[in-house]
Amino acid sequence: MRRYLAHAITRGGSAGPAEGLRGQPLRHISAGEVGLWATEWQGDATLARSDALAHHDLVAAICERAPCLPVRFGTWLATEDVARRSVAEGQARFAAAVDRLGERQEIAVTLLWRDASADRDPTGGDAPARGADPTAGTGPGRAFLDRKRTAHTAIDDRTAMAEALATRVRAELVVEPSDVRQETCPSAEVALSLSLLVRKDGAGALRARAAMAVADLPGVRGVVSGPWPPYSFTEDLAQAGVSGGS
Amino acid sequence: MSGPGLGPLAALPDEELTVLDLVDRLLNRGVVLTGEVTISVAGVDLIYLGLNVVFAAVETLAQKEARGR
Repeated sequence: MRRYLAHAITRGGSAGPAEGLRGQPLRHISAGEVGLWATEWQGDATLARSDALAHHDLVAAICERAPCLPVRFGTWLATEDVARRSVAEGQARFAAAVDRLGERQEIAVTLLWRDASADRDPTGGDAPARGADPTAGTGPGRAFLDRKRTAHTAIDDRTAMAEALATRVRAELVVEPSDVRQETCPSAEVALSLSLLVRKDGAGALRARAAMAVADLPGVRGVVSGPWPPYSFTEDLAQAGVSGGS
Repeated sequence: MSGPGLGPLAALPDEELTVLDLVDRLLNRGVVLTGEVTISVAGVDLIYLGLNVVFAAVETLAQKEARGR
């Protein structure tokens, strides 16, 4: 069965990579002002991690040739007509977003708790550990509520600490608020996930500054990644294009 | 890289964390096309490998398993 796996949207029909995922044909499906790059797929459509990384490589290669919008991985379109219609429906905002992104890339900054236990002081303090019962000797209901309150307080403390770390990192990097996407405590082990939008010619310098900014933060380990295509900014910019925002 | 007190993710090498971070973005961000589109994320093998999606995915799988019983 033939179908299309979407990769990226560009303006017009700029030259693209030679082939799509798993050596299958890469197609450019034109839809007015913009076009969709997609692998023309034959056979089993079960995707794996290696396909996700190959999709990333392909999107990066497309974005090197021309400003582009990455499409979320795993987007299948049943036929070429369906693909064309799907892109044509949003062509004005896609075109505006492509123009806004221009020559820009994304740097990722992630802070991981060194101690992932949520009810423990992440800086290694003396807060009770999970399972510790500070109310030994009281009734089981009271002890349960006290443990729950302790855990909630620890989570609140951890969120406050993550936000303080975010403020500190952002202050050191001096980036425009519109060029940052921030999530604090998106999961138990992640304190902060920052995505920074930067011009291609400034990506190396920003990455180096980010690495310095997270090198010695209390209670967390910092990892700086990228530059990548601007995955975290496509939808926001597309929406801004519709509303006429800056 | 690993050591006493480190969480499972914090104990991973930088390269692996970068891949996890990237897979997160590939799965959760980027243009969402409308129309006759299906998001196909097939199998535990892929879903388990993101930083932020990992817990939601595990929860979803657990719910599916529970419903299937």
